[in-house]
Amino acid sequence: MPPFLFWLFASLMLVFGAAVVLNRNPVASALSLVVSFLGLAALFMSLDAYFVGIIQVLVYAGAVMVLFLFIIMLLNLRAEEGRRINWLAATGGIVVALILVIQIFSVIGHFQAARQTFPSLERSTTDDVWNIGALLFSNYNLPFQIVGVLVLVATIGVVLLSKREPR
Amino acid sequence: MDPFFIITSLLKIVGILFVVILPMVSYAVYAERKVSAAIQDRLGPNRVGPAGLFQPIADMFKLLLKEDFTPRNVNTFYYWLAPCLAVMPAIITIAVVPFGSTLFGVPMVIADVNVGILFVFAIASLGVYGIVIGGWASNSKYPFLGGIRSSSQMLSYELSLGLAVIPVFLLVGNLRLTSVVRYQIEHGWFIAPFVGDWMNPWKWVLAVPMIISFLVFMIAIFAETNRLPFDLPEAEQELAGGYNTEYSSMKFALFFLGEYAAMITGSAVIVTLFFGGWHFPGIPDGSRGWIFGVINIAVFFAKVAIMIFIFMWVRWTLPRFRYDQLMRLGWLFFFEIALVNIFVAAWILAYFPSS
Amino acid sequence: MSYLELLKLASTEAVVVVTALVVLAIGLTTRREATGVTVATAQGDQNVGGSSSARTNAICSFIAALGLAIAIGTALMLPRKATLFSGMLVITPLTSLFKIICMALAFFAVLLTKSEKSLRHPGEYLAILLLATVGLMLLVSSEELLMIFIGLELLGLSLYVMVAFDKTDVRSAEAGLKYFLFGSTSSAFTLFGISLIYGMSGITSLAAISEKLATVSVQPLLAVGIVMTLIGFAFKIAAAPFHLWAPDAYQGAPIPSAAFIASGSKVASFVVLGKIVLVGFAPLHGDAAWHAMVAGWSPVLAALAALSILVGNFVALAQSNLRRLLAYSAVAHAGYTLIGLVAGDREGFSAALFYTTTYAITLVGAFGVVALVRRETAGDDFSNFSGLISRSPMLAGCMSIFMLSLAGIPPLAGFFGKFYLFSVALRADAGHGLLWLVAVALFGSLISLYYYLIVLKVIFVDEPSLAIASSPDHLSPDLLQRIAVAVLAAVVLFLGLMPDALAAGLLAAMP
Repeated sequence: MPPFLFWLFASLMLVFGAAVVLNRNPVASALSLVVSFLGLAALFMSLDAYFVGIIQVLVYAGAVMVLFLFIIMLLNLRAEEGRRINWLAATGGIVVALILVIQIFSVIGHFQAARQTFPSLERSTTDDVWNIGALLFSNYNLPFQIVGVLVLVATIGVVLLSKREPR
Repeated sequence: MDPFFIITSLLKIVGILFVVILPMVSYAVYAERKVSAAIQDRLGPNRVGPAGLFQPIADMFKLLLKEDFTPRNVNTFYYWLAPCLAVMPAIITIAVVPFGSTLFGVPMVIADVNVGILFVFAIASLGVYGIVIGGWASNSKYPFLGGIRSSSQMLSYELSLGLAVIPVFLLVGNLRLTSVVRYQIEHGWFIAPFVGDWMNPWKWVLAVPMIISFLVFMIAIFAETNRLPFDLPEAEQELAGGYNTEYSSMKFALFFLGEYAAMITGSAVIVTLFFGGWHFPGIPDGSRGWIFGVINIAVFFAKVAIMIFIFMWVRWTLPRFRYDQLMRLGWLFFFEIALVNIFVAAWILAYFPSS
Repeated sequence: MSYLELLKLASTEAVVVVTALVVLAIGLTTRREATGVTVATAQGDQNVGGSSSARTNAICSFIAALGLAIAIGTALMLPRKATLFSGMLVITPLTSLFKIICMALAFFAVLLTKSEKSLRHPGEYLAILLLATVGLMLLVSSEELLMIFIGLELLGLSLYVMVAFDKTDVRSAEAGLKYFLFGSTSSAFTLFGISLIYGMSGITSLAAISEKLATVSVQPLLAVGIVMTLIGFAFKIAAAPFHLWAPDAYQGAPIPSAAFIASGSKVASFVVLGKIVLVGFAPLHGDAAWHAMVAGWSPVLAALAALSILVGNFVALAQSNLRRLLAYSAVAHAGYTLIGLVAGDREGFSAALFYTTTYAITLVGAFGVVALVRRETAGDDFSNFSGLISRSPMLAGCMSIFMLSLAGIPPLAGFFGKFYLFSVALRADAGHGLLWLVAVALFGSLISLYYYLIVLKVIFVDEPSLAIASSPDHLSPDLLQRIAVAVLAAVVLFLGLMPDALAAGLLAAMP
C-alpha cells in the first residue's frame, strides 16, 4: 500500500477517535466510532490481514455499533448540555496530558528497535483465512473454546442483570 | 500497479454500475409495478411510451424536479448523510460478485478478494446505518420507530444469514465467490443436483442441507432488504412510510434506489451461491471466444432477473408479519435451523461416502 | 496432539463446565415452573414461589457440589507432568494442588450459596460460580500470557455478575458497578502491558519470554509493559492503590460472592502473579533492598506491599462494619503476601502461596459466620455481632479462631504463615536488604491486632442490643453451614499446629 494511504487511514482513525470523545451528541459519537473502525479495518487490510480487517467491519462496525446506536436511540439520550469549562481543571488536565506526551516520546526515543528499518513482511503462501482457521483448530484450540465459555458467562450475566423481575 | 489492471477495473466499475445496475434499478421499479398489476389483475403503467416502458424516465424527471423540502427540526447534516449511506453499501457489494466468466481474457469480477462472502456481509451490514440515521435525523416519531425496527431486524437476521451459507463454504473450502462458481461448474449447482453428474447419490443427500441453506438465506435476505413480508421499518399502514416519511424529492429517491439496489445485490449473491453464478449447462466460458463471455454475463443477469421476480412475487402475495413474530421467527426458528443445518452438512461431508 | 489428549488433560475443567451447564439447565427449567405457579395463583401465594426457589437451590447446589467433587477426583488422576501448546495448559504437582485448592474453596462457596435462602436465581448463580472456578483453574494451570488473560477475563466477568447479583439490594448494584469499572480498566492495562511484552519478545509463552528477556537490558518500553501487566494483578489481589473497589464489593455483594472473591480469586491471582514474575520476568528481578534498589519488578511489588500494609491496616481501624473491616484487612494481607514474591525464588513463592491459602480458608470461614449472623439479624455491623457468645457459642468460637489467625496469634495458621513469610524475606539476601519491608509488616500486624480484638470484644463482652435480644434466642439451625464453618476452623487450627502438612507439600511441588 502506498504510504499516503497509510497516513490517510491512520489520520482518519485518529481524527474520528478524537471526535468520539469530543462530540456532545451520543449518536454522533457512535457514528464517529464507526468511521474510526473502518479506518482500522483498512489498516489491517494494508497488512494483508484481509480476514481480520473484514471481521472488524462485520462485527464492530456492522453489528456492535448498530447495537450501540440502537440502545442510544432507545434510551433517547439527548445531546449533553454545554458545560461551563472549569479552567483550573482544564489546565491541570492539559499539564498531565503534556507530561504523558513527553514521557511517551522519551520512552519511544529510548526504544532501540524503533530505529532500525524492519525487513518487509514475507507474503504467506497460503490464504490468511485458511491460516487463521488452522491455528484456531490446532495450537489455539483451547483458548478458542475457553472464549466460548467466556461469552456464555457474559450472556448469562447480561440477561440476568437486565431482566426486569416481578416484585 | 500496472495500468492495464487499473483501466480494466475502471471500465468494469463504470460498466457494471451505469450500464447494468442503475438501469436495472429503475426498471425494477417498473417491473414491480407491472408484476403487482398482473397479480392484482390490473394494467399497471401504460401511458408513457409503448406499454409504459419509458415510465422510469418520467419518474426520474418527476423526482428531480420536485421541491426538495427539509423539515425545520431535522438534524441537517445527518439528514443529508442518510440517503447517501443508504445507496452506497448495496452498490459496493457488487464489487466482489463474479458477474461473468472472462471477456478478452479479463475476469469479469471487479475485486476477487479472498474473503468474498465476508466482504458481502460486512458491507451489507453497513446498509442499516442509512436507515437508522435517516430515521433518527428526521426528528419525528414514525421515522424514528422505523429506524429502530430496522436496526434490530437487521441484527437478528444477520446471524441466520451468516450461518446459512456455512454449508456451502464447508463444501467449497474457500471464501472466494469465484471459487464457489468454479465448484458449481465442476460439480453442478448446489440447489439443483440434477445438473452435472446426477448419478452421484452423495450429491442428492447433500442437496438437502443445501436447499435448507438456500431457503434460510433467501428469507434472511428478504429481511435484510426490508422487503415484504418483513418490511416493518417502512410499513405504510403503521408508520406512514417509516424512516423515509420526512424525505422528499431526490433524497427520497435515493432511499428508493438503495432498496432496489440492495434487492439486486441480494439476488446476485443468491445466484452466485446457489444457482451456479454465470454458468449454464452447455455454454462454454469466455475463453472460447468473446461472444461466450457476453453470453455468460447475460445468463448471470437473466438469473438475477428471475430472482428479482421471485422477490416481487412474494411481496405481492404474502401479508406482513407482526413485529414480535418477526423477532421470534428470526431468533427461535431460522437461527436454530441454520445451526442444525451446519451440523447435518458437516456430518454428511465427514461420514457419507462421496462417490 | 489429538483432541482426545486435550480432553484428557483438561478433563477437570471440562467436568466443571459440564456441571455448570447442567446446573444452568436445571435452574432454567425449574424456574419456569415456579413462575408458572406464581402466575397461576395470580402472585397471591408468595410461599409457593419461594419454596420452589429454595428447592431449586438445594438441587442445584447438590449437583454443583457433586460436580466439584468429581472434578477434584479427576484432578487427582491427572498425570504428574504435562505441557500442552507451549505452556497454555501446564500440569505439574503445583498446578494440580492449586486446582484442588481452588475447587475446594468453590465447594465451600457452593455450601454458602445453599443456605442463602433469599437468592433469586440459584441455578444461574451457581453456574456462574462454577464457570468462575474454571477461570481460576485456567489461571493456575497456564504459563502462557494469552491463556492467562483469557482466564483473567473469564474470572473477572463472572465475578462482576456475581457481585451485582442481588438486584433487590442497591449496594450490590453499586458494588457491581464499581468492581466492573475498576476491573475493566485494569484488565485493559494488563492487556496493553502484555501486548508490549509480546512486542518486545515476540512470543507469549512465559518460559520463552524469560529466555528472550535475559538478553536485553531494562528498556523503558519494557518497564512500561511490566508495570502495566502488574497493575491488572494488583487490582485482582486488591493491593493498595488499586483496592478501592474492595470495601464495596465485600460489603455489597451477596456473601458467597464476597467469600469467593476474597478466597479463590485471590489464591489464583497470587499463583499466576508469582508465575509471571518469577518465571516470565525472572531476568528482570531487580532488587528491592533498602538503599540498593535496582530497577525491575521487585521494587514495584515492594512498594505495592508496603503501601497495602499501611493503608489496609490504618483504614481498617475506622470500620464499624465487619465485612468492610475484612475488606481492608484483605488489602493488608495482600501486602504481606507480596513480600514473599519480592523475596523471590522457591522459598519465597511457597511462603506466599502458603500464606494466601491459609488466608483464603480463614476468610471463607469468616464469611460463613457472617452469613449465619446476617440471616438472623439482617445486618453485619458490629452491633449485630454483639453478644454472639450467648446466642451461639460454637459460632463465636469459630469466629475467634478466624480472627486470631488473621491477627497472627500462635498456634493458628496465620501465625505460621507470617512467620514463614518474614523469615524468608529476611533470609532473601545476605545484607538483610528487605528488613525495612519486614519492619513495616510487623508494624502493620501490631496495628491489626487492635481491630481484630475489637471484633472479639464485641462478640464476647458486649451485651446483645435490645432489638436482637428480642429475636428468637437461637440462630436458625442450618446444620450444613455450621459444619462447614467448624471444618474450616479445624483446618485453620490444624495448619497452625502442623504447617508442614501444606508447607512441605508446597515446597516439594515447586518447580
